[in-house]
Parts: sequence; structure tokens; C-alpha cells
Amino acid sequence: MDRKIKEAIRYLGYGSHAIDEKTLAMIESSFEELEKIVRMRFIYRIFELSHEEGNRLRIGQWEIESKSLSKNMKGCGQVVVFAATLGTEADRLMRRYALTDMAKTVVIQACAAALLEEYCDACQDEISEQMWQEGYYLRPRFSPGYGDFDIRHQERLLGLLDAGKSIGLTMTESCMLVPTKSVTALIGASTTKTACHRQGCEVCEKTDCIYRRDSR
Amino acid sequence: MIRERIYKELLFLDGGMGTLLQEKGLNPGELPETWNLKNKEAVISIHRQYYEAGSDIVLTNTFGANALKFRDSEYRLQDIIQAAVENAKEARTLAGVDDGRHYIGLDMGPTGKLLKPMGYLGFEEAYEAFAEVVRCGVKAGADLIHIETMSDTYETKAAVLAAKEESDLPVFATLIFDEKGKLLTGGDVPSVVALLEGLGVDALGINCGLGPKQMMPILCEMRRWASVPIIVKPNAGLPKQRDGHTYYDVTPEEFADCMEEMVEEGACIIGGCCGTTPEHIRMMTNVCREKAIHVPEKKTDTIVSSYGQAAVLGDMPLIIGERINPTGKKRFKQALKEKDIDYILKEGIRQQEQGAHILDVNVGLPDIDEPAMMEEVITELQGITSLPLQIDTVDAKAMERAMRIYNGKPMVNSVSGKQESMDMVFPLVKKYGGVVIGLALDEGGIPETAEGRVEIAGKIIKEAEKYGIERKDIIIDVLTMTISSEPEGARIVLEALEKVRRRYGVKTVLGVSNISFGLPYRPAVNSTFYALAMQKGLTAGIINPGSEEMMKVYRSYLALMNFDKNCEAYIRAYADQEEKGKEKTGAKEEMTLGYAIQKGLKEEAGHLAKACLGEAEPLDIINQHLIPALDYVGKGFEKGTIFLPQLLMSADAAKEAFAVIKEALEESGRQEEKKEKVILATVKGDIHDIGKNIVKVLLENYGFDVIDLGKDVDPKRIVETAIKEQVCLVGLSALMTTTVVSMEETIRLLREEKPDCKVMVGGAVLNEEYADMIGADFYGKDAMQSVYYAQRVLKEQG
Repeated sequence: MDRKIKEAIRYLGYGSHAIDEKTLAMIESSFEELEKIVRMRFIYRIFELSHEEGNRLRIGQWEIESKSLSKNMKGCGQVVVFAATLGTEADRLMRRYALTDMAKTVVIQACAAALLEEYCDACQDEISEQMWQEGYYLRPRFSPGYGDFDIRHQERLLGLLDAGKSIGLTMTESCMLVPTKSVTALIGASTTKTACHRQGCEVCEKTDCIYRRDSR
Repeated sequence: MIRERIYKELLFLDGGMGTLLQEKGLNPGELPETWNLKNKEAVISIHRQYYEAGSDIVLTNTFGANALKFRDSEYRLQDIIQAAVENAKEARTLAGVDDGRHYIGLDMGPTGKLLKPMGYLGFEEAYEAFAEVVRCGVKAGADLIHIETMSDTYETKAAVLAAKEESDLPVFATLIFDEKGKLLTGGDVPSVVALLEGLGVDALGINCGLGPKQMMPILCEMRRWASVPIIVKPNAGLPKQRDGHTYYDVTPEEFADCMEEMVEEGACIIGGCCGTTPEHIRMMTNVCREKAIHVPEKKTDTIVSSYGQAAVLGDMPLIIGERINPTGKKRFKQALKEKDIDYILKEGIRQQEQGAHILDVNVGLPDIDEPAMMEEVITELQGITSLPLQIDTVDAKAMERAMRIYNGKPMVNSVSGKQESMDMVFPLVKKYGGVVIGLALDEGGIPETAEGRVEIAGKIIKEAEKYGIERKDIIIDVLTMTISSEPEGARIVLEALEKVRRRYGVKTVLGVSNISFGLPYRPAVNSTFYALAMQKGLTAGIINPGSEEMMKVYRSYLALMNFDKNCEAYIRAYADQEEKGKEKTGAKEEMTLGYAIQKGLKEEAGHLAKACLGEAEPLDIINQHLIPALDYVGKGFEKGTIFLPQLLMSADAAKEAFAVIKEALEESGRQEEKKEKVILATVKGDIHDIGKNIVKVLLENYGFDVIDLGKDVDPKRIVETAIKEQVCLVGLSALMTTTVVSMEETIRLLREEKPDCKVMVGGAVLNEEYADMIGADFYGKDAMQSVYYAQRVLKEQG
């Protein structure tokens, strides 16, 4: 089974249970429908990263205090500031189905999340390739809102990328990304390779989450 | 002066500003506009270099100077804009070009926010932000308004309207297109051109995003559609990165050569965007100075547009869906009275799926606030469909409101030959743009002869010309009369239709179904008349795309007249027609209603419910079939053997069955049991409402009357509704820590003002503890838990 289909099934809360045919068919048709309308875009910029006292990090004039981010960025002298989005059409599609077919809405929402994740991975591979040629290794993506990395840093992050203009990604007053199917992240880059697999989900403290990748 | 010059000679804009300021020491994250006061020498020097390099128009350093983007504790926005214009003036004097032929363009960039309904910012808020900038700029002495780097047609419309209403200055507008010729928000070249020309900009074009080479195909496409001079302002190539810096590598020489080609292809006003320098502009002016311009020729295409697409009304007939209209529809009237927007939106979705190209929107009903309703319906429709809309009203206020907030160039239904009507409608069409339907009637009524109607059409066209409204923006309706009272009605209409088309070269529209009023089996007459009208050259029929007979005729007509290449659409629609018929006769007989619901088979559930009605009492069907099936699924969900999509499929199937039963109850004159009301809302600041919507579907199935207040709901509104509707249970959802704050605030307010009301909460960041902390009565870890809790509360309340 395609990796992103598996991910969509996980987002739908199936855990290790087998999926029923009807839902699987709906997942497949949802991916088709999404792929026809989404306009995926990403942008990134590379900055120098300095580590300061007390779990503080500095990117230019931007100062971030976060224990979990500091841990993630340990040993990194550079940081990739990254953002990606599926665009507004995925939102519009979900709005439309929310009026007529809630099951389909839920499935599309899961598929859009899986599609976005897959896209981010592909983007990161591309950046990774380029950074590797310059002698850097990339860490896993770390987004505002993960651990104690305050979600309110979203504004600064988007500003550095001029994300509204470059990829049409904006945020609300409460730091929610618009379009909703979007990701922002910092990706550490160090000259030494550390043994770290793709994390994200696994580092979360909510261990009883039914969506958790390593659950059950 | 500028307005004449742009049609006669090539004009030069300036180049980049931001990158040059950075070279002079602007820090990343520092607002460039503050330098108008903080470091004005740097700004003046850059402006001066551009004038000296040959720019006719220099743009002020005000790209991000609007109240939504510019937030600075030190400087006031008005002072920044004032200083920005003065800096440009100073530079112009220093460069020695104070000759009345060198201009200052007030630069306006985007707000950085996405507008409703996909985003958060209200149209009028965006408008007000731009209007403030324009007022300041005009006062300071700018010569024109230059709106640029826009990605969204809606925001662009707000900016252009502000520029036009707050000033008499020329207005230029340019947007960012990608290599496929699309905006970030999905718009294409024809839709952008239709919108901007409708609003009356003086010049329009492309800037930023791409280098000159990549812009060429978009310029060509623009020249195909535009009638006003085209602006081209590319970056110095595509952005590249080195050592954490973005740079552009098209040299001044290459840039100048490319721009020369652009002028040959139709660019009339040229300059540079990101990465271009005074040197780029100097080379460009040197190479291009003597070149003649090719202003696009006047186009005659009739276009209406939405945020994302244009509908070109041409030889191939289009369908205007007529179903969003209360006339003769009891259920629709009820929806309007109850402000049941969802019902209206569903009518829109259905027609889109059935094949409509444009949706007519009529929400007129005595004793409702039509302008407000019109605004809400148009806004919400824009959030779910990309079809262009037709604003259908006789209320002048509703028409203006709708035309103002519409994201595109609308179809307007309608104007008539009555002077009063023309006096009201034409100024609006002139101001906001639009294609207006002209009805062939006037103070003397509807003429009996074809010639009489054709003459009124001529009168309408002539009056429109006085306003500068072109024929391409008028579409004539010669008015279908019913043949049961007017035996010659069809003949006259068909004759008038053809005459109008031939005599004036205008497009035509007809409301088709009036023809058969009073006759039995109306679809037969309607569809035949529809075919005849298309044969006479009807541009667009206002029909019900849900009528199979009409669609059969429409699809056949397109196939016959070779509008449907290789009959593809026809085949797609009807290839399995014969098989479908067979399937229906062989319906599975063993299936029970309960089974259909458990398995989430929507259509079957509806059929089976109907079948059950013959044998059992409606309430018995609910208690003996529906409820047990729902319970079975709900329990399975709790145990982890049935999952969310399945739960919701069952819910949808049950809903279908409920609808059938409800109808039967109403027909037999009985009332449903009184339902308990529950309010659901996604809290203020939060826009993720999927969880709330899931709970809604389930609660409705379990017999609750859900008052859905939507998302981003103000605490006050929730409390007021709870009091007014006497609701004893409120469900709130929030996704993030930043919005749980408003959840807490809502609960606090409810406790104060409606203490007997219970509150249940749910959402990704919540848990039992957190819910307790903010004072909720119940934390629903999933949708079923909320249903069970609601049932418990209901029982307790008696």
C-alpha cells in the first residue's frame, strides 16, 4: 500500500486495525480529487543559528527560547527556515463537503494532511541534497507549537520567508496558518551526522494519542 | 496627462527598493518604510538614481505601509506616507526633472492577510486600510496610485476601489502570476483582466515572482484579453540563494534586451522589481527609449469572472443555474427566513455538480433584510464554488452591496428599458464592472411584437453608452412569454432573439421555463423551446440544471453543433445510461433499513425508509430501525471496531432516512417531537471546525436541534444565543492553546449570564484536566462521548 494512504488511514484513527473497503475506496478517490486541485508550494531560506545561554537560540534578530527546540538544534550552526502549503483549494473542497458529506470531509482532511506531509518530506530531501553538497546534514523538521516552541513564533517565521507573497501562506491573529493545510518549520543543519530518524510525532508527550505513529 | 501619455508613448517605472535599502544597512525584519523618516537620505538617493537612470515614474517607499501590515511603535503611518512622498519629490528636484513629465506613484502592496471567506480579513477592513493610505498619499501630493505584487483578486479589488473612491488619480494595478499564468489564489489572466477593467483601472499588468523571460508568455496572454495599456515589471530573474542571502542574477544588459522584446510584444509601461537596480533601469531606458508601443486593441469578449475562473460568453451556449431563488419554493423561503445559509449553499453545490456555468443568486423575500442576506450568501458561496455568480435583485441596496463585495466581475440581473431602472443600475455597472442583463420592457410594458422588443434593447444599449458601458457588457433578454396565454409567444421571442443578436451584435439570455406555464408535462415544452432558442443563437439559458430533460437537450445540442469535441462530454454523461436502468430494477431485496444505516449506504437507506413507511408508523421506524442501528454503530466506534469515516457514513445514511420520515410526518400533518436545542461553536480566533461539524452531524441524528454558530464565534454571541433560545447545553471546540483562551472566556461569560447552562468542550489540545481547569462541565474525547453527555444532560433536565 502506498505510504501516504497508510498515513491517511493512521490519521483517521484506525491504528493497526484493518481498513474497510468502503473507506479505502473513499481515501483513494479523495487523493485523486485533491491532487487535481491542490497547488503545492514551498519556500525556504538558510540562516546562521547561534546558541545562547538558557536554551535560547538566535536567528538574526529573532530570539527563541525553547528547551525542546534547543535540544533538536544541538550542534547546528545553520538553520533552514521552511514553509509549505497545499493552497486554498484544499480548504475550499473541505468546506464544500462539510455541507453535503461529513465522512468524505473527514477523509479528505486526513488525505490532505498525508499529502502535505509527503510533500514536505520531498522538499526536505531536495534541500538536504543541496545542503549535503555544502557539507551539512539536516535534522528533522521542528514546527512552532511542538514541545515548548511557542506557536506565537509563527509570525516571525512567516515574515522571514515573506510567505504571504511568496507562497500565499498567511496566519490569523491566533497564529493559525491560512490556508489550513500548511506547515512551517525550522530544520537544523550541522556538519556532523547525528543518528536521528524522522521524529515529530514520536517526541510528543501525549503518549495516549490514538494517532500516534508508534502506538499499539 | 499620464492618462493620455500611456496610450502614446512608452513610460518607464523604477526598479527594486528593498534590496538596495538592505545594502545600505536595513536589517532583516526591520520595516523598510520606517527609513522614510529614520534614514531619509538613503531613500532619496535611491529615488534620485532612478530618475537619473531614466524612470518617468518613481514609486514611493510605501509597499508595506498599511495599517494591517505596518505595526511600529515609533512612527505613525500617516507620517511615514507623507515623508515617503516628500522624499520622492525631493529626489525629483535633485535629479533636475521637476518638469511636470516625471511622476510619483504611491506604491501599495498587499496587507499580508488572506480575505474572507478563505481567510480572516473582512473585505471592508481591507478596503479601509487601503483607503487610509490613499488619503495620505493624495494629501502628500502623489501623481498616481500604483497597486502591485497582489496575489489575490479580492484584495486587489479592495485596493482599486479605495484608490478610485478616495482619489481622482490614475490607478495602475499589477499582480504576481506564476509560470502557469495563475495567481497564488488561483485566478488566471482573463479573470484578472475582466475584474480590473471592470473596475476601471488605467493600466494593468504583471510584476514580481518571475524574471523577464518567464513573464513573456503571460504578457502574450494578457495582450489577448486586455484593452488598456499593459505594465510589465519583472524581477532580475528567479531568486537564488547564497550564504543565507537571496540574490538575482539577470544582468542589466540581459534585462534590457528582454525588456525590449517585451515592448515589441505589447508592454507599454515597463520597470523592474526585486533584484533590479538603477543600472538595470539605465540599460533598459537606453535600449528602449525610442521604441513605439503597441497598445492592446479594444476587445469585445463578454466575460464574467470569479476569484479563480472566467466564463466567456460566446458561441457555445452556457447554463445559468436558476435554483437559488425563493420564487415558488416553500422550502427555500423557509431557509431564507431561518437564515439557513447551508441550505442555500447546497443548492449552489448541486447545480455546479449538475453542470451550471454561472449561478443566479436571488434571495429577495418581503420582510427579510435583503442587502444583508445577499451579502452573506454571496460571501459564503465564494467559499465553496469557483463559478461566477449572477446577482439577481430589484433592490438597489442589495445590488450595490453584492457588486461591491463580489470577488470578480459579476453578471447582474437586471436592468430594463425603464428610465428609473437604467438610472439606478448603470452607475453601479460603471463603477464596479459587470455584465448586465437588459430586459426588453419599459414604461409601456412588454411590447407584443418582436420589433418592439428589439427597439427597447437598442434603447438600453444606447443609454449604457452614455455611461461608457460597452456592448460587450450588455446581454439582452427578450423575455419568454407563456404560450398558453400568448399563442405567438414562442415565435415572437425566437424572432426577437435573432434580430437583437444580428442588429446590435450583443449576447442574449432567456429564462426558458416560463414558456410552458399552465401546461401539463412542462419539461417536454421547455426542452424543445430551449433547443430552438439555442439554434437561434441564445448565449445563455437560465435553467434548472437538475432537469434531466433540459440537460439532455443541452448536451445533445453541444454534441450536434460540434461544441463538444468528439462528443466527450456527451459520452461521459450517458455512456452507462442503459446499464443504470437495469441495475435499478434488480434492487437487492434482502437488505433492511438497519443494515443500510450500519453500512453507511445513503441511497439505499432513503429507499428503504420509504418502503418501510408503507408498513409501519413513522415513529416506530425511528425507534425500531434507526435508533438501534445508530446505537450499534456508536458502540462499535467506542469499542474501536468501527472508525470515524464509517461512523459518519452511517450518520449520513441515517440522515437520509430521517429526511424521508420527516417528510411523511409533515405530509400527514403531524409534528415531529419537540427537539432539545444545543448550541455548537468553534471559539473566537479558531478556524478549524471539522470536529465541531462531526459532533453536529451526530447530535442531529440523535434528535437534537443543533444551533450551529460556525467558527471564530465571539463569546458574546454564544451567550446571547443561549439566553435567547433558552439553551441548556453549549458545545465548544478549539484546536490550539492560543484559542483555548477564548474558550475559557466563553465559559466564564456563560457562567455569569446563563448559569443553568452546561458546557461541553473538545479539541486537539484539550484533555480532562485542561477542561476542568477552564471550568467546563464535560470533556468529550470523541464525538460519541458528546452525544452521550448531551443525552444525560437532557434527561437530568427532565
